[in-house]
Amino acid sequence: MTTTTNPLRDAAFMQVFLDLVIPPSADGVMPGAGSLELGESVAASVEADVRFGHVVSDGLLAIADAAIAANPGGFTALSPAARLEAVQGVLGAHPLLMNSVARYLYTAYYQDPRVLAAIGEPARAPFPEGFEIEPTDERLLAALHARRRQGPAAT
Amino acid sequence: MSNEPVGVLVIGAGASGAAFAWSIADTGASVLCLEQGPWMHQKDYPTNHMDWESRAMGPFASNPNVRGLAQDYPVNDAASPIQPLMFNAVGGSTILWAAHFPRFTPGDFRVKTDDGVADDWPIDYQTLEPFFAINDRMMGVSGLAGDPAYPFHQPPMPPIPLGATGNIVASGFEKLGWHWWPSDSAIASREYEGRSPCINLGPCTTACSQGAKASTDITYWPVAQRKGVQIRTGCRVKEITLRPDGMADGVLYYDQDGVLQEQKAEIVVLACNGIGTPRLLLNSKSDRYPDGLANSSGLVGKNLMFHPYSLIRGIFDEPLNGRRGPGGCTFWSHEFYKTDRSRGFVRGYSYEGTRGAGPAQTALWGMATGMVPWGEGHHDAHKRLNGHIAGMVGITEDLPDEANTVTLDPVLTDSNGIPAPKVTYTLSENSQKMLAHSVERGTEALMAAGAIETWSDPLIKTAGWHLMGTARMGADPARSVVNEWGRSHDVKNLFIIDGSIFVTAGGVNPTSTIQALALYVADRIKKNMGSLFD
Repeated sequence: MTTTTNPLRDAAFMQVFLDLVIPPSADGVMPGAGSLELGESVAASVEADVRFGHVVSDGLLAIADAAIAANPGGFTALSPAARLEAVQGVLGAHPLLMNSVARYLYTAYYQDPRVLAAIGEPARAPFPEGFEIEPTDERLLAALHARRRQGPAAT
Repeated sequence: MSNEPVGVLVIGAGASGAAFAWSIADTGASVLCLEQGPWMHQKDYPTNHMDWESRAMGPFASNPNVRGLAQDYPVNDAASPIQPLMFNAVGGSTILWAAHFPRFTPGDFRVKTDDGVADDWPIDYQTLEPFFAINDRMMGVSGLAGDPAYPFHQPPMPPIPLGATGNIVASGFEKLGWHWWPSDSAIASREYEGRSPCINLGPCTTACSQGAKASTDITYWPVAQRKGVQIRTGCRVKEITLRPDGMADGVLYYDQDGVLQEQKAEIVVLACNGIGTPRLLLNSKSDRYPDGLANSSGLVGKNLMFHPYSLIRGIFDEPLNGRRGPGGCTFWSHEFYKTDRSRGFVRGYSYEGTRGAGPAQTALWGMATGMVPWGEGHHDAHKRLNGHIAGMVGITEDLPDEANTVTLDPVLTDSNGIPAPKVTYTLSENSQKMLAHSVERGTEALMAAGAIETWSDPLIKTAGWHLMGTARMGADPARSVVNEWGRSHDVKNLFIIDGSIFVTAGGVNPTSTIQALALYVADRIKKNMGSLFD
């Protein structure tokens, strides 16, 4: 049995799958990727990537097929352990799948304002506010001054 | 479009073309620059946006094959372990560079004399010194005077702060008693000639929204335009044309509408760097020059040099906030710069301290290195890396080898149908030994600095920023393409002013030296107008 729907465009499938890739943290601080509804963004990136997008779309199709074979309800109907098993079961034939998924998902996840706030980063573009950085350590500067080459005015 | 003949035609508006055009305008000659890219606008740069990390991997990627913009030309790099990088716009690759701004050292110009390898340059550091100083003022350089690795020079602005990342890694060098010094950086550390100071946006290599980083579209070009220099954008040069006597008389180029145009000039100046320049010369074949223009030596496109890079990173317990601050401008080290044959290789390398990356890049790097898994354990692994990384790159001196080449691809073309360049490059045994040494010693420095774990890549594949040697300078026409002041041996009104004329590569970033050379060539032209074509 094979699926007739495109998993990339199946919102329920993508939510469950992305939560498997980046699950919520045990302490509840970090949201799961699925709960952030990043599926649409990931799908758009995959479909726009003419060179490598097929690695993800083919792999997800294989997962969907494997899930249906295990349970007619498909991937979303599986238990968490069975979902993980379904994903791991296709990696032999699709070895680049998860790294390719990560390529699209990690950028979407770690640029989401909710995630930035959770990891302690300001949820804004770097410009125009910018950032402060620490000054040069005075002890290091003193060491440099002690061995600096003297210029013409100082000789 | 007016194609009135001009006195000086510069091809390429990047680091060298801008400096040269600004200087040569003093002659009062009409000066025109043709640039295949557009003017850039700071409001469009990635750090104006929340998704700056994604944008940096797309339209602002430093690899033209990844970027694939209309103004880019493809590069066949299948036969090279290092991918060539560049940017095509007014400002050229200075739009995306890190602005780490070391000069070549005096010894870099005499490697044959000192170490018996490669060739000496036909000029020396002292010849270029006044032009280094002019260039530092024009670009706006921040640094700390007195580095014992160099003759004394005074940068116009105080150094960029090291920040937590620079402080911790430099402390490792200090503990080991190794040379290190705050980088000369082409970044404004304070208000400087209309430029605002750096506000630590972080990813200089995705272009500077603040305008604190020196790119020649905001340094040289506005001043050059006030002197009367014209820039024509969206113009891709197809070939250099010749008079019946074999002198250059201009170019054929495609304008932004794809229409072939002819531009006449008294002097033609190539500023397309180590891949673009030989590509154009090889594409300028004629009955008189069947092997390409200015190629009687057979050396156009040969002796391609990169700087093979190693990457050494440490993970620290301390929060370092490494995504903040100029990513490639903390400090440099010349501890292993000069030849010590007991190390098993000749010549040497520098280190350039690096800061960290943004959270998305950190996750991707963690994924690629196996340090950040998907699924269970993802968050703990990311938390351990994000903001806790500092390190350095090792920049090794590549020696010239005629087997490392830029040729014309027999199939691949740009969007105008002009044959694209093909790069063929093999990493030498000497470079491999140097890279391995840089990893070992860099790891030692990070451990001394207190890293709890280190990671290294002995050759960064995506680091072909520096493109040199493919139209080398020299006194002997049989062994060089241009003379000691950039004039073609074969075509006496054709000049080359970019990294392609380098004889050797040094072990530091080349842009400061490229621009000093461009200013030097312009100065020689200005002083020898009466006998320029003798």
